[in-house]
Amino acid sequence: MAPRTVAPFGPQHPVLPEPIQLKITYEDEKVVNVVPALGYGHRGIEKACEINDYPKNIHLCERICGICSCIHGISYCEVVERLWPMEIPPRAKYLRTIWSEMSRTHSHLLWLGLLADALGFESMFMQFWRIREKVLDLLEMTTGTRVTHSVSVVGGVRRDINDEQKKICIRTLQEVRKEAEALINVLATDPTVKARTVGKGVLTKEQAIMLGNNGPHLRASGVKEDCRMEGMQAYGELGFEPIVETDGDCYARTLVRARETLQAIDLQLEAFSKMPEGEIYVRPKGSPPANEAVFRSEQPRGECFYYAKGNGTRNLERLRVRTPTFANIPSLLVMLPGSELADVPVIVLSIDPCISCTER
Amino acid sequence: MPVMLPTVIRNLFGGPATRMYPVQVREPFEGARGHIEFNDDNCILCGNCARQCPAAAIEINKEKNELVFYPARCIICFVCAEACKKDAVIAANKWRTPYYTKPVEVHVAKGKKEKAKKE
Amino acid sequence: MIENLKEISKDTLLQEVQKFADAKARFVTTVCSDLGDKLEVTYFFNYSPGMDMVALRMVVGKDEEVPSISGIYLTAVLSENEMFEQFGLKVKDMAIDFGGLMFLAKDSPVKPMVKDNAAGGKGGE
Repeated sequence: MAPRTVAPFGPQHPVLPEPIQLKITYEDEKVVNVVPALGYGHRGIEKACEINDYPKNIHLCERICGICSCIHGISYCEVVERLWPMEIPPRAKYLRTIWSEMSRTHSHLLWLGLLADALGFESMFMQFWRIREKVLDLLEMTTGTRVTHSVSVVGGVRRDINDEQKKICIRTLQEVRKEAEALINVLATDPTVKARTVGKGVLTKEQAIMLGNNGPHLRASGVKEDCRMEGMQAYGELGFEPIVETDGDCYARTLVRARETLQAIDLQLEAFSKMPEGEIYVRPKGSPPANEAVFRSEQPRGECFYYAKGNGTRNLERLRVRTPTFANIPSLLVMLPGSELADVPVIVLSIDPCISCTER
Repeated sequence: MPVMLPTVIRNLFGGPATRMYPVQVREPFEGARGHIEFNDDNCILCGNCARQCPAAAIEINKEKNELVFYPARCIICFVCAEACKKDAVIAANKWRTPYYTKPVEVHVAKGKKEKAKKE
Repeated sequence: MIENLKEISKDTLLQEVQKFADAKARFVTTVCSDLGDKLEVTYFFNYSPGMDMVALRMVVGKDEEVPSISGIYLTAVLSENEMFEQFGLKVKDMAIDFGGLMFLAKDSPVKPMVKDNAAGGKGGE
């Protein structure tokens, strides 16, 4: 029998944005066994949400993650609004959609840069992050900060986009679309990139569903499922179709995320042209009644599940958050055994891990 | 290789993509969230800002007629600036500079008008 | 209100979950809440492809043992470990057992999400 080595992947690794440890057992360069170890970023946010009044929890929920913080805040407001249930004005729905898609654009551009860095293609990493700076400038101009925007409240949104800001946004988004399309073309047709991603980490359609995958990880295996198909916020009025690939390997996941970046920019331009006038905030009546509500939103990394239970006072009884990476990690325990040593960083990065979301 | 050529030529003749900070400082945007300042002349100690602050960074002391602010706890969410009805909380857009020890600011509220004495 | 909710007991749990596995449904998550003297556990499943969600709910006492569904759905192993260490719900035969040390450390508070354990401290400093 060949000798076996146990090597740790993490908790610090250049490919991971946040710390997680995978103890990998190798037999001569082939992976045989994987054991995960979590717990480096646990902060107890679900318990802290029961102590505060319900308007203060928006700021806590946003700080679950730094990259996908906009949609955490919006999902919290949506699930608490469903306890009454109450309706928000149409202009607020369009504004929330625009900020969600802007957040998705910058998150996918970040991931494409990290993938290029994991393969060793550092010039591409810098070019992608250079385009991403323009999107972050737009977010700062309209919401006030680059991350942790806290722009939405229970009942609507806090800020509006006036006409001058709208013209700057449309012009910048069209520039970003042209430059991103040119770079994605390079990444998708390069023979070195294809040699390192095609055929690695393959998951069939049945395996993907039974392992609980969601988001672009699931859509790359041929399952047409996206939370935005339910038509919440303004997605029912914009023409939206999910993007699906059938191969199930790392190259298919790259293509799904690259095409979603361009689709997100198109959705924003369409929403800017169709946005109605009107007010942006409606005051909620009293405290949240004793009721339960569930809301699922589409984060850049997958499907995020929020559950809220009220009890008639200003504090919530229970808030449960299940983030997309929490359900994507067990698929690593099936994808990694059988692959080679040099493919491990690329496969771990292809699920788009966000560990601070997992551990809250 | 030829697919990346336009990007390469543009970067070769385009100049650097970064600016020489701290010699060149970018001006912040108009609505950007920088820091919080207090206007002592308008404050009437109603306590709206202290009740709504998510980080418990403002404390109201009615006996001593003062307002204590902890800048190190502040997360600059501007909920206090929207809650104040007397314009005593000013939302500024310049980012705060680093400090070595955590400061505590004490403000004496001067906004309350004396009630007219009944005859 | 939650739509499509079905009440079950812990003896029929494995049969109901096997029906979902035969219909190729996707496991979403579990939610556990503290009702004072009992624990209420809800399992959520989604019929793929599409967005129809179904829920199963059971109420157990704090000392009872619940069978694990990670033999059918491997992905439930993280949710069940989290319920064990945050609420003290005993789950039998999990596929990977972290022994209560998945998110918490050896000197952390024990069963922090239960209602009598107060979470104290002021934020900031």
